[in-house]
Amino acid sequence: MRGEAFQDNFLGKVKKAILDWKINGFVLFNRLMETRDFDVICIGAGGAGVAAAVSAARAGARVAVLSKEPIGYGDTRISKGVMAYAGLYPGDSPGEFYRDLIQGGEHLNDGDLARTVSQETALAVLTIEGFGHLFCRDEGGRITSEVLSPAGGHRFPRGLISPSEGVSMGNALRAAIARAGIAVFEETMAVKLYSEEGRIHGLLALHLLSGEAVFFRAASVVLATGGAGWLYYPHTDCLQSATGDGFSLAYEAGAELIDMEQVQFIPFGITHPRPFIGLLCGEPATAGPFGRLLNNKGEVILEGINTMTRAQVARAICMEVERGGGTRHQGLILDLSPNLAHPKGLKAREKMKEIGIFEPVREAYGERAYDWEEPWDVSPTAHYHMGGIRADSEGRTGIKGLYAAGQAQGGIHGGNRLGSVSLAEVFIFGRRAGRSAAQSALGGVRGKINRVESLITADVQELKSLYGSRGSYRPIKLKRRLQELMWKKVGVLREEGKLKEALEELGELEALSRDLSISPIKRLNREVQDALELRMMLNVAKAMALSALERKESRGAHVRLDFPQRDDFGWRRNILVWKEGMEMKVRAEEVRN
Amino acid sequence: MRRAKIRISRFNPDIDKTPYWQEYQVPWEKGDTVLGALIYIYEELDPTLAFRFGCRYKKCGLCAVEVEGRPRLACLAGLKKEMEVSPLRNLPIARDLAIDRGFFYHRLAELKLYIPEQESMKWPAVIKEGIQHKRLIGCVECLSCLSACPHYDYRDTTFGGPYLFVKLAQLHFDSRDKIDRRFQARTLGIERCKGCRYWGRCVPCTSGIPIFKDAIRPLS
Ligand SMILES: Cc1cc2nc3c(=O)[nH]c(=O)nc-3n(C[C@H](O)[C@H](O)[C@H](O)COP(=O)(O)OP(=O)(O)OC[C@H]3O[C@@H](n4cnc5c(N)ncnc54)[C@H](O)[C@@H]3O)c2cc1C
Ligand code: FES
Repeated sequence: MRGEAFQDNFLGKVKKAILDWKINGFVLFNRLMETRDFDVICIGAGGAGVAAAVSAARAGARVAVLSKEPIGYGDTRISKGVMAYAGLYPGDSPGEFYRDLIQGGEHLNDGDLARTVSQETALAVLTIEGFGHLFCRDEGGRITSEVLSPAGGHRFPRGLISPSEGVSMGNALRAAIARAGIAVFEETMAVKLYSEEGRIHGLLALHLLSGEAVFFRAASVVLATGGAGWLYYPHTDCLQSATGDGFSLAYEAGAELIDMEQVQFIPFGITHPRPFIGLLCGEPATAGPFGRLLNNKGEVILEGINTMTRAQVARAICMEVERGGGTRHQGLILDLSPNLAHPKGLKAREKMKEIGIFEPVREAYGERAYDWEEPWDVSPTAHYHMGGIRADSEGRTGIKGLYAAGQAQGGIHGGNRLGSVSLAEVFIFGRRAGRSAAQSALGGVRGKINRVESLITADVQELKSLYGSRGSYRPIKLKRRLQELMWKKVGVLREEGKLKEALEELGELEALSRDLSISPIKRLNREVQDALELRMMLNVAKAMALSALERKESRGAHVRLDFPQRDDFGWRRNILVWKEGMEMKVRAEEVRN
Repeated sequence: MRRAKIRISRFNPDIDKTPYWQEYQVPWEKGDTVLGALIYIYEELDPTLAFRFGCRYKKCGLCAVEVEGRPRLACLAGLKKEMEVSPLRNLPIARDLAIDRGFFYHRLAELKLYIPEQESMKWPAVIKEGIQHKRLIGCVECLSCLSACPHYDYRDTTFGGPYLFVKLAQLHFDSRDKIDRRFQARTLGIERCKGCRYWGRCVPCTSGIPIFKDAIRPLS
């Protein structure tokens, strides 16, 4: 008997008391929770998770997807939908694209991963259009070099634009899952992975709507959980579910994290009013050819912005604010009006309006600002994690049966991600990870569950005890403290003293996080979700601070005020974090070319 | 500091027979939004308040609620001195302001509201996209239109409601789609729209889609 023998809607039967469950000839009397069995489980249902699930299903595996939100959400759905397509523009080629990736990533990229991305963008475009998405075309309905848009750090225009940004991508993802007959668990949060003898065999999840625990048994698990921008709230443009769960799940399961210090702060975020702090309003290309950054005295701080990388511009803004040149809202002034006197500048404005990248300006700063006639107050905002789970081009981590893809995977972009490359890469590596996860699962080797049964039972009990726990601290309050701490001490500009303080304070928060006060409501209890996310965020924050402390140079998005130079002799190295016993370990290793 | 008074509809289907109102006072600054107020209430006043949001800026559609009896995206709706906030109407309530959106996945799958798989097609395909499709595809699926529709009720599967008609129209105007979506619209009771007091304009859309012009009329 298998998982699908249960009826699909598990909300209706969550009260089921006893389940007789046969696993590997082993009878598990499970009084606590529902158990499900699949070949491949994808955690996350954004671009990477769906691409993985679909390719695993096509390879013949029985597949499930889990997601904290509905299927097809994640940052993929709220993205601008601009996707890199290399080799179309005259003179461009995968080789040129590879050079841009490495140059932009400041030589921290894993060579194999970057090469794979540079060669497979056409496949990525085909995958998402195959799912049903449609990119903007020219008047004749063709995808030509004319329709491509530029982005900072790319020497050729490579961005395909989407008519409704990421929304239609999200719809196409949902359609792909439905067509492939994949089992869907929406609003279901993975909280722990189980492995034995270095092999994954299952995971524990919480159905947020009902408050019920579910145990999923699986031969392969793909982590496609996206990024961790929410560690910097409100200074982020990410979805609130981007709390780095996958990083923590992988770390706890024994996999390695790579370059966790490399967080992309996109240079132009809204600074006020307060509900809109951190919302995306631009990347370097948005400045057009003539945009300039001014400080509070009206002095020009930066010009020629549109050819720079996101990391370079974000750094310049924060350096000037640090020197005291910031506005009342701790930002700089972005003056785009010089563009209006030039045909090229006007063209840039129209292209950027078409992409929709600075839409929130309308709400925050008004119509004239939206038309580039009035300047904007801008500050960098957390957008993307270049670091992440270490996995090869097939998505394989160091743990058998555990795969990573999408933003959850690290090492692809090195020290800086170029605009539009994420959306290409999530489909490229999602596909690959799903395929190899299925192959390995169908290969017949399954992890044993025997010895950890009591462990799972204890974990479920612990999960249940969160409801109505009467400790001293509300999880949301600790979350907010963590976020403030990350922005102030592990933000755009870093230094040893602050990083050490951060680590210390994270230790304190960790202690407090064991003394929580949570309401007993079972249904959609946000506090329980906050508590579970908080635990994961603490791991992620610690890995980030530790890696940032380790990298004694400035490279890519990582800027150390005490080591302001890039050090190509000592530091063309990746930083790896992993768990040994109860301790977080860190080491540096030569970059793999 | 100025304060705003906000009345929120509370309801836990496990315990409560009917929804009830609860009042909160929140600080109120220029530029504040309803979503900001809900977050404040959850953080400072009432840990049990249930509501949804995702992106904070009209992209995810998860935050839609009724403000003063009108469906709005909470992340864009400005805070006022006194206001009432309730969940979208005509939809199952998960708790308080949060709608249970789960059944939509199954509904869309069962009605095959998507185009056929395109991967085996010759690519890059030449596809001309009409202006209606460009507009319709902007639907963020906030479900506000269902809340405003006088005929829709999620328990009545014989009437699709504006949201499903927009989904059908997206496909109707998509040259890659091969199914007769007008026929499908009829099986989903689009005829009933004719007797509606909103005939000729339909309900407002948070993404600015002219639902009548782009969906109801072409499908009718
Ligand atoms: C505002 C914005 C605009 C952007 N624009 C662009 C662009 O134009 N071009 C570009 O290339 N990139 C863009 N990006 C980046 C890009 O959108 C993301 O990097 C990419 O979509 C990530 O895809 P993903 O599949 O890895 O993760 P996501 O799409 O973020 O999906 C993550 C999934 O994991 C789930 N999840 C997380 N934790 C758990 C858990 N514990 N249990 C179960 N499920 C879990 C989530 O619910 C979600 O389904 C943008 C990002 C933002 C924020
Ligand atoms: S929070 Fe996403 S639309 Fe309002």
